[in-house]
Amino acid sequence: MELLLLTFLPLVGAFLILLTPRAAAGVQRGLALVTTLAVAALGIKLFWGYEAGGDPNQYLFEVPWFSLPSAYAAPTLVYFRIGLDGLSLLMVTLTAVLMPVVILSTWGHVEKRVKEFMVWMLVMQTGMLGTFLALDLVLFYFFWEISLIPLYFLVGIWGGERRLYATVKFFLYTLAGSLVMMVAIIAILYQHGTSNVYDLINLLCRLPVEQQLWYFGAFALAFGIKVPLLPFHTWLPDAHTEAPTSGSVVLAGVLLKMGTYGLLRFCIHMLPGAAVAASPWMMALGAIGILYGALLAWAQTDLKRLIACSSVSHLGYVVLGLFALTPAGISGGMLQMVNHGISTGLLFLLVGMIYERRHSRALDAFGGVATVMPVFAVFWVFTVLSSVGLPGLNGFVGEYLVLLGAFQASPLWSVVGLSGVIFGAVYMLMATRKMLFGACTNPENKKLTDLGGREMALMVPLVVLAVWLGLRPGDFTSKVEPSLAQVQQRILEARQRNATASLGLETPGTAAATAPATNSGAEGVAAR
Amino acid sequence: MNPQDLLTLFDAAAMTALAPLIALALGTLAVLACGIIPGGSVVRPIAFLASLAAAAAYCVKTLVDGAPATLVLDGTFQSGPTTAVWGLVFIASTLFAWLYSAHYYEEDAPFKGEHDVLMLATPIGMMLMAGAHDLLVFFIGLELLSIPLYSLAAFRRDRIRSIEAGLKYFLLGAFAAACFLYGAALLYATTGSLSLDVFADPTRRAVILDQPLALVGVALIASSVFFKVSVFPFHLWVPDVYEGSPTPVTALMETGTKAAAFAFLLNALAMLPNSTAGSIALIAVITMAAGNFGALAQTDVKRMLAYSGIAHAGTLLLGVAGSLNGDPARGGAIEAALYYMAAYVATAGGAFGLLALLERENKGTTTLESLKGLAQRRPVVAAALTLFMLSLGGIPATGGFLGKYLVFSVAVRAELIPYAILGVLLSVVALGYYLRVIIAMYMQSPAEGSVVPESRPTPFATTLASVVCAALVIGLGILPRWFLEVM
Repeated sequence: MELLLLTFLPLVGAFLILLTPRAAAGVQRGLALVTTLAVAALGIKLFWGYEAGGDPNQYLFEVPWFSLPSAYAAPTLVYFRIGLDGLSLLMVTLTAVLMPVVILSTWGHVEKRVKEFMVWMLVMQTGMLGTFLALDLVLFYFFWEISLIPLYFLVGIWGGERRLYATVKFFLYTLAGSLVMMVAIIAILYQHGTSNVYDLINLLCRLPVEQQLWYFGAFALAFGIKVPLLPFHTWLPDAHTEAPTSGSVVLAGVLLKMGTYGLLRFCIHMLPGAAVAASPWMMALGAIGILYGALLAWAQTDLKRLIACSSVSHLGYVVLGLFALTPAGISGGMLQMVNHGISTGLLFLLVGMIYERRHSRALDAFGGVATVMPVFAVFWVFTVLSSVGLPGLNGFVGEYLVLLGAFQASPLWSVVGLSGVIFGAVYMLMATRKMLFGACTNPENKKLTDLGGREMALMVPLVVLAVWLGLRPGDFTSKVEPSLAQVQQRILEARQRNATASLGLETPGTAAATAPATNSGAEGVAAR
Repeated sequence: MNPQDLLTLFDAAAMTALAPLIALALGTLAVLACGIIPGGSVVRPIAFLASLAAAAAYCVKTLVDGAPATLVLDGTFQSGPTTAVWGLVFIASTLFAWLYSAHYYEEDAPFKGEHDVLMLATPIGMMLMAGAHDLLVFFIGLELLSIPLYSLAAFRRDRIRSIEAGLKYFLLGAFAAACFLYGAALLYATTGSLSLDVFADPTRRAVILDQPLALVGVALIASSVFFKVSVFPFHLWVPDVYEGSPTPVTALMETGTKAAAFAFLLNALAMLPNSTAGSIALIAVITMAAGNFGALAQTDVKRMLAYSGIAHAGTLLLGVAGSLNGDPARGGAIEAALYYMAAYVATAGGAFGLLALLERENKGTTTLESLKGLAQRRPVVAAALTLFMLSLGGIPATGGFLGKYLVFSVAVRAELIPYAILGVLLSVVALGYYLRVIIAMYMQSPAEGSVVPESRPTPFATTLASVVCAALVIGLGILPRWFLEVM
C-alpha cells in the first residue's frame, strides 16, 4: 500500500494543481513542493524501513489488472504489481529526494505557464517511480513509455531556442528503442505465459544463450538509447542543452537511470546467459563511451552542453561496471548511478543559477566569477570535485569500484575507462578555471549577485548526500547487497551453463541438435 | 415460398440476431417520417437516439445471454457475442458522428433530416457486413452502407470539394462493388455456393483454393474489401475523399466502414489461402509506410488524419496476416481487431469531431498553422486533442496502446517478427506527425498578424461526445479488463 501511495501521490498533487486557477502561480508552486516533500518523506521512510537481510521484495502490492487474450494458450494474466527490492531501492529513494529540490529550483526560471509545468513535473515523478517499482513486464513498459511524455512537454514548452528539434529528437529516438522492446516483451509473454518479473527471472535464464541474445538485443537497444550508450547518444546533448534547468536535472538525475536500471534488472538479472556472452561488447561500449564522452566534453564551449557530454562519459562508467559482471563492478555501477544523479544534478542546478543571472552559458563569457560570487564558487568547486571522483566524496567510491570490477573482467577496457578519469578531471577543472578564476575582465560579470538563501538551501540535501556517500557508502550498499548477491548468483550459474553448453557443442551429436536453434533465431523463439 | 417457410427462416434465434438491425431500420423510417410531420425536427433527434439505444440494448442483451455463435437465416448470418460487440462498435461510431454533426451544418440546416436518415442507415449495413456468412448478404450490407455514405460525402452541396469527394467515392466505390460481385460470381462458378461454409471443411477448402478461377474470385473479393479498408494499393482515394467530405461523415467512414470491412475480413479469413500470409504482411507494412510517410507531408490536419487512417488499416492488416499464418484458432486476432477498432472509434471519432468543432470556429480547414497557440485559447480542447493524438500514436494509458499491443502480438505469435519490427518502427514515423499537432497547440504561438478566430461556446453535443470519447480512450487504456472480459 505504501508503494501505491508513493507512486500515485504525485499524480494526486498534479490533479489538485489542475483544479487551481491559471493565475495562481504561488499556490501551484506550493502544492507541487508540498506534494514532492511528502513523497520524499515517504521515500526516506521506506528506505529506512527496508530490511537488508529480509525478503528481497518488500512492500509488495499486487492486484490482477487484466488478462491478455490468446487463442493458443491460457490467457496471460497481467498484474498491477509493484515492489521494492535492492535493485530499485536506491533509484526510488533518489527520485523521491531529488524532486523537491527540482521543484524548488524552478522558482527562479519558470515564469510562464507555471500550472502546466508543475503538473508535468509531478506526472513525470509518477512515471519514473512506476518504472522503478514495476515488477510486471507489461506494467514496466506502461510506465516506461508514459514517462516520455512529460519531458517532451517540459523541453518543448519551457526549453531554449532549438527546443522543438531537441524534444522531437528525444521522443522519437527513445520511442524507437522502446517499441522494439515491446516486440520482445510480446514474444516473452507468449513464450512463457506470465509477465511477472520474478517468475521470468527464473524462467528466462534457462533458455539457450542464442535465444536470450535476441531478447537481450531488443532490451539493450531500448535501454542503451535511454542511457545513452555510444552510437545512440546524440539526442542527449541536444535535449540537455535545450531543456530548462529543472528538466535537465531530472533528465540527468533520474530519467537516464531508467536505462541503466533496465540494463541491470532485465538485461543482466533476467537474461544472465546473454549478459555473460555480451559482456565484452557492452564493456567496450561503456569504456569507449567514457573516453568519447570525455573528449566531447573537452571540446565544448557551452557549459550546459559540456555537462551533458560529461553525462555520456559518466554513464559509460555505469555500463562498464554493470557489465563487468563482478560483485565490485555491479555495486560500483549501482553507486555510480546515484552519484551521477547527485553530482550532475548539482552541476545543472549551478549552471541554471548562473544562467538566470548572466543569460549566457558560453565558457568564454565568464572569468573571475569567484571574486564576485564566492559562495557559488564554493558550491561549484565542491560539485566538480565530487564529479571527478575526489576521495572522500561520492564520485570516488563508485568510480573506484567500477574500475576495480572492470579490471577483474577485462584489464583492457578498465584501462581505457581509467584514462577517462584523467580526461574527466582535465575538462572539468579547465572549465572551472575558465569560469571561476583569472581576472574578472567582462564588466557584465562584475554585476553578478551571489547565491540567495533558497538557492543554497535547495542544494544542501544533495551536498549532504554527496559527503555521506563518500564517507560511509556502506550505509547505502548494505541495503542493496543481498539483492546484488542474487544477481551475482545468476551470473555464476549462467557462466557454468554457458561453459557446459559450449563444451556440449564440441561433441558431434549435440552440435547438430543445437545448430538449427542458432539459425532460427527469433522465429524459433516465437514458435515455442 | 409459403408462410411456414418464412416462419422457419425467421425463427426466434434469427429474430434475436436481427433485432438490432430491425430497431435501426424502424428508426430510419421514423426519422424519415419526421421530415413530413409537423414538429418533426424536435422529435427527430429523439427517434434517432432511441433507435440507436434500442439497437445497443439488443446487442448488450446478446452479450449478457452469452449464447454461443450460431448461424441463422439459413446459414447466411452469424449471430453471437462477436457480432454483438462489433454492433456496439458501429453504434458508437454512428453516435459520435451524429453528435458531432449536430452543429456542423448550420448553414445547411434544412437538410439535416435527410442527413440523419442517411446516417442512421449506415450501421445497418455495417452490422450486415460484420455478421455476413454469405457473400450476397455481405454485398447487401456493403451497398446499404456505401450508398448513404456516397450521398453523405457530397452532403455540403455548396462546396465543390464535398461534391468532388462524393463523386470520387461513388465512382471508385461502384468499381469496387463491381469487383466484389464479379469475384463472388467466379467463386459461385467453381463452388456452386455463395456461402462461406464451403471454406469450413479443410479438404474442400484446399480443393477450391487449388482452382485458378476460384483464386481470381478470391483476389477480386479481397481487392474490394481492401478498397473499403483503404489498404495499399487501393488507398489513393482516401485523402481526397476524407478531406472533402463533411468532417463528421469522415469520422464515420474512418471508423465505422473500416471496422465493418475488417469484421468481414476476419470472418471470411478462410477464403484466403494460408500461403498469402507473407504477402499480406508485406502489403500491411507497405500500407503503414504509405500512410505514415504520406501523413508526414501534410499540413492540413484532416488530410493528415486521413493518411494516418491508412496507416492504421495497415496495422490491423498485419494482425489479419498473423491470424492467417497461425492455426485455425487465429491467435486472438478477432479480439485484437475488436479492441483496436473499439479504441480507434473513440480516438479517431473524437479527433475528427474536435476538428469539426475547430473548423466551425476557423471558418475553414484546420491546418497546423491554425492550431498554433490553441492550448492557450482552448486548453480543454487542446488537452483532449492531445489525448487523441497520443492514443493514435499508441502511447500507454490510452486505448490505442493496448490495441496496438494486441495486434502486434498476433503478428509476433504468427512468427511474422520482421514485419512486426518494421511495423513498430513505422509507428515511430507516425509519432513524428502526431507530435506535430501537439507542438503546434502547445509549443508555438500564432504567427504575428494572423487572425485568431473568436472562440464560440462549444455545443453541448460536441462536449458530450468528446467527454465520452476521452473517457473511453482512457478507460480502454488503463482498465482494459472490462472490455476484454466482454469479448
